[in-house]
Amino acid sequence: MRTPASTSSSRQEGSTEVSRASLADAERASRLVVELKGIKKSFGSVEVLHGVDLKVHSGEHVVIFGPSGSGKSTLLRTINLLEEPSAGSVRVLGVEYGPGLPGERAEKRGGPLQLRRHVGMVFQQFNLFPHLTALHNISLALRSVRSLGRREAEEKAGIALRQVGLLPWAGHFPGELSGGQQQRVAIARALSLDPEVMLFDEPTSALDPELVGEVLAVMRALAESGMTMVIVTHELNFAREIGDFNVFMDEGLVVESGPRGFLDICENARTKRFLKAVL
Amino acid sequence: MRLLANYDWGLIWENKEDLLRGLLVAIQVAAVALVLSVAIGLVLALLRLGKPPVSWLAAIYVNVFRGVPALVSVIWVYFGWSLVVGISFTVFQAGVIALTLLYSAFISEIYRAALQAIPKGQREAGLALGMHPARIFVQVTLPQATKIAIPNIGSMFIGMIKDTSTFTVIGLLELVRVTQNLNSTTFQPFVLYTAAAGLYVAAAFFFDFLFRAFEKTLTTPPSGGIARAAAGRRRRRIELVMKDVEALSGKT
Ligand SMILES: Nc1ncnc2c1ncn2[C@@H]1O[C@H](COP(=O)(O)OP(=O)(O)OP(=O)(O)O)[C@@H](O)[C@H]1O
Ligand SMILES: [Mg+2]
Repeated sequence: MRTPASTSSSRQEGSTEVSRASLADAERASRLVVELKGIKKSFGSVEVLHGVDLKVHSGEHVVIFGPSGSGKSTLLRTINLLEEPSAGSVRVLGVEYGPGLPGERAEKRGGPLQLRRHVGMVFQQFNLFPHLTALHNISLALRSVRSLGRREAEEKAGIALRQVGLLPWAGHFPGELSGGQQQRVAIARALSLDPEVMLFDEPTSALDPELVGEVLAVMRALAESGMTMVIVTHELNFAREIGDFNVFMDEGLVVESGPRGFLDICENARTKRFLKAVL
Repeated sequence: MRLLANYDWGLIWENKEDLLRGLLVAIQVAAVALVLSVAIGLVLALLRLGKPPVSWLAAIYVNVFRGVPALVSVIWVYFGWSLVVGISFTVFQAGVIALTLLYSAFISEIYRAALQAIPKGQREAGLALGMHPARIFVQVTLPQATKIAIPNIGSMFIGMIKDTSTFTVIGLLELVRVTQNLNSTTFQPFVLYTAAAGLYVAAAFFFDFLFRAFEKTLTTPPSGGIARAAAGRRRRRIELVMKDVEALSGKT
C-alpha cells in the first residue's frame, strides 16, 4: 500500500471482498515500482544523460540496450542512487529519492539507504566480496541490512544459494568459483534481501560464452517468478524473449522504446543500425 | 685457535637471562608501539584519503615523521617534551611514543596504498545491498586492505625492534643497553655483540614467520597448516547450515 493509487482505493470501504481482490490484482499489475523523470547526469562539465524518463511497473521486465557509452549503466545506477542525478526525479514505490522536478513537490522523500532496501543490483564484474565464502557473502548482507542474527542469516543465505543451485558451493570462496557461479551467487545475494526490483548491468558480459547460459537460466526463472527487472544487456535473443518493454538509448537519451516484439518492428534508423551491427 | 681462545664464549650462556630480558623489553616496546601505530596509521590514511584541509595536515605529519631518526625522536620525547609539557615519561613510555610517532607515518602510507588497491566495485556492491558505509568499511574494505598491508607491516615491526637499540641513550634496558653493561665489566665486545646480533636476527626470523602465518590465514582459501586448522571451524559450521537447508527443502 505504498502508491497513492492504492491508498485511495483502500479507503473505499463499501466494495465487496471479490471486487476488492480483483482491484488489488489490477493495481499490483499496474503499480509503478520505478519512475524516472527528466534524469540528467553530468560528470564534471560533461553531461552524459540529457533528460531521460523511464517507468517500470510491478512484474515488468524492462530491457535497456544501446551502444557503448550511451549512458545505460549510468541510468541504471541512478535508480539506486549509486549515481546521484544532477537533475530529475527518482521515484521508487512513490517515494522521491532524487533532486526532484522543478515545481513538483514530493509528499514523501527518502535517503539512499531506505531506497536500496527495495532495489537489488547485479554488476557486470559480479563484485562478490573475495575474502568471504559464498555463504558469508550473502549472510553479511542479511546481518548488516536486515539485522538478522548469525544463525538465521546463514540459514537464509543457504536458502538463497539453493535457489540458484549453488548450495553445495556454500563454503567456497569467490576465487574458487567459475564466473558463472560467481554471478549466480551475486544474484542470490541481491535476492536474499527480498527486493521489489532487480537491476542487472550486463550480467553476462564478463563471462566466457559457455557460462552465459547458466546465468541467463537463473534470470529466466526469476522473471517467470514475477520479479520486476531492469536489464541492460547485449544478449538480444534473451532480451527478445523476456523483454516486456524495450528501451534503446544513444548518446544519453532514449531514442526509441516499445513493448514486446519491439526489436523486430522498431522504426528508428539508429536503432536499426545498432541491431544490425549486434546481430 | 689461539685467537679464539681469547674469547670467552661461555659469557653468553652465563648471561643468557639478562640478554633475553633485554630482547624481551625491545619486543615489548615495539609491540605496544605497533598496535598504536596501526591504529593511528589507519586514521591518518583515512584522513589523507579525505578532503583537503585535513588531508594536507595528515600529509604534513606523514612527511615530517618519516624523516626523523628514532634516536632523535626518543631524545626529543624523553628530554624535550618533559621540559615543555611538564610530563616526565618513563623510559618505556618514551620509547613507545617515539616509535609510534615514526611508524604511524610509515604505516599510514602502507594502509593508504592498500585501501586504494581495493576495487571501487567492492564498496559499490555494499552500497547497492543497502549496507551502511561505515559497515562496508569495517567488513568489506578494511579486511581486504589489511591482507595487502600485512607483509609490509611485518617488515615495519622488525624495523621497530631494531630501532629500539637506539633507546639505550635514554637508559632503556633493552638488548643493546644490557650488552653494553655486560661489556663494561667483562671487556668482551666481540662475544657480547655477536650474541646481541644473533638475538636480533632470531627475533626477525621468528616474527617474519609469525606474520607470514597470519597472512596465510587471510588468503582465500586459507593456505598452510595453521591457517587451515583455524578455518576448520568455519567449514564445519557451513556444513551444518548446508544440512539444515537441505532438511528444510526436504519438508517443503
Ligand atoms: N564516473 C565517471 N566519470 C566520468 N565519466 C563517466 C563516469 N561514468 C561514466 N562516464 C561517462 O558517461 C558516459 C556513459 O557511460 P555509461 O557507462 O553509462 O555507458 P554505457 O552505455 O553503460 O556503456 P557500456 O556499454 O560500455 O557499458 C560515457 O561517456 C562514460 O565515459
Ligand atoms: Mg555499461
